[in-house]
Amino acid sequence: MSELILEAVDLEYSYPDGTKALRKVNLQVQKGEKLAILGSNGAGKSTLFMQFNGIYRPNSGSIKYQGQDISYKNKALIELRKKVGIVFQDPDSQLFSASVYQDVSFGPLNLELSEEEVIKRVKQALTDTETTDLEDKPTHLLSYGQKKRVSIAGVLAMEPEIIIFDEPTAGLDPRHSLEFMQLLEKLSIEGKTIILSTHDVDLAYSWSDRMAIMYSGEIIAHGAPGKLFMCPENVERADLTLPWLIEMHNELVQKGWLPPSTPLPKTREDLFRSVPEKNHQPTPDIYHRHAR
Amino acid sequence: MIDIDSYAYSNNLKTVHPAEKLLFAMMTMVVCLTAPTVITPLIVLALMAGGIVIKAGIPARVFVKLMLVPLSFLLIGVLTIAFSVSTNPLGFWLAQTMYGLTVGIRYPDLNTAVHLFLRSLGAVSCLYFLALTTPMTELISVLNKLKVPVIITELMVLIYRFIFVFMETATTIRRAQLSRSGYVSMKSSYRSLSRLFSALLGKVFVKSQELYNSMAARCYTGEIKVLTKKRPVSFRNYLIITGFEIPLILVNLLWR
Repeated sequence: MSELILEAVDLEYSYPDGTKALRKVNLQVQKGEKLAILGSNGAGKSTLFMQFNGIYRPNSGSIKYQGQDISYKNKALIELRKKVGIVFQDPDSQLFSASVYQDVSFGPLNLELSEEEVIKRVKQALTDTETTDLEDKPTHLLSYGQKKRVSIAGVLAMEPEIIIFDEPTAGLDPRHSLEFMQLLEKLSIEGKTIILSTHDVDLAYSWSDRMAIMYSGEIIAHGAPGKLFMCPENVERADLTLPWLIEMHNELVQKGWLPPSTPLPKTREDLFRSVPEKNHQPTPDIYHRHAR
Repeated sequence: MIDIDSYAYSNNLKTVHPAEKLLFAMMTMVVCLTAPTVITPLIVLALMAGGIVIKAGIPARVFVKLMLVPLSFLLIGVLTIAFSVSTNPLGFWLAQTMYGLTVGIRYPDLNTAVHLFLRSLGAVSCLYFLALTTPMTELISVLNKLKVPVIITELMVLIYRFIFVFMETATTIRRAQLSRSGYVSMKSSYRSLSRLFSALLGKVFVKSQELYNSMAARCYTGEIKVLTKKRPVSFRNYLIITGFEIPLILVNLLWR
């Protein structure tokens, strides 16, 4: 049933100074899926994203959008960028205007929409990111988290089919992180394809349908999150750690609190539900030790 | 400068159409600069002070402080006009002769100096009115409507935004230097400052590339198109402006 929408084929890319940023990257993105790209700093996640909408051109290999190699002609690139939106990691390099309203309107205006439509989309994007009350504020008086949300609004207003988020929760406080994840859920329900890079293993594990682990310009593993984290060598090689849910689950299984057949918990609620009620044994202090 | 900017976004006149504020400030400034008497600049000064402090609700302390900024520079300029040195002691209004040289003030010079001083101060107050009540972004949109070349307004947009980005970066770098004992001596100050500048220059290039990439990602094709929030156009305001300007012009024409 799944339909391939974006694909990287044998992608190789080096920066002008000779740093090899991508080595034979192959990655398939299905329409409507939630894909997390996990990797430590400098693994090549951001570089890969810039390939996806044609900002960087690969040295060899290709990017396919809906099965066709993307063209690097101006017109074709603009068409591609209407479909594939990127929210950059540093909001300061994305917000070019001092006015929140103007900045959010920049993308949709470039799509040659009518003014009414642009106004409508800007309004919707501001509502979705809870930034409506910031629209009259200058960008330089916003906090980091607010800038981040405004930069997300700037891309949402373009209503792309695929939205790529580069480290979206880095620098957000827990409340706004959570709200951001709810926004992602909403977008996902609307049928958008979402790609997200992070080095937060807990977030990637709980949120994604599928994960790819990048290390030093290569995709060293990809597949269902539960399966990937069952091979500790993947995680170790990529300088990552196991999600606390999986560690906890393993510990509970090993110590006999849970039968080995228990399915891996996807959320903290799953895990808490599977822990049996206290019988006669004293309850270990698990809730406190891992309360986050 | 940063204070002026934050007041521009939070004063009581921020919802007034920027074109009206621009018209008011510019016309008053022209009237003030062409005034033949000292009366007009004094009225303008009072008018702008009232506009800034009472209408816009900006603390009087802030306004006075801002007016003091050009004062020192203005005084020096005006004093050189008022005072003259001559070997001929005739024609002075107030003078002191020493060793055959006369240092003093001639009456016409004093007149010119006072005029110039008040006219400049009046004009500065007009500019402050504009700067304190109108956000830069809205000013730029008015310039756009006035058919100022796009290249200029786009540069203004980017420069304005990046002043703040770089100031923040510079502050961060300076803080990092201070916390590692930069600027402790004259020698280290020079070295720290030069490092700060070179670090900033490097960042300029990185930031500009990043900005271009992120704009390209949002289908940038060479022209920055943005929507500006519409402010209501008020005929009442235009009437008020006319009501202020006509008497001022009349004062200029009749009071000689």
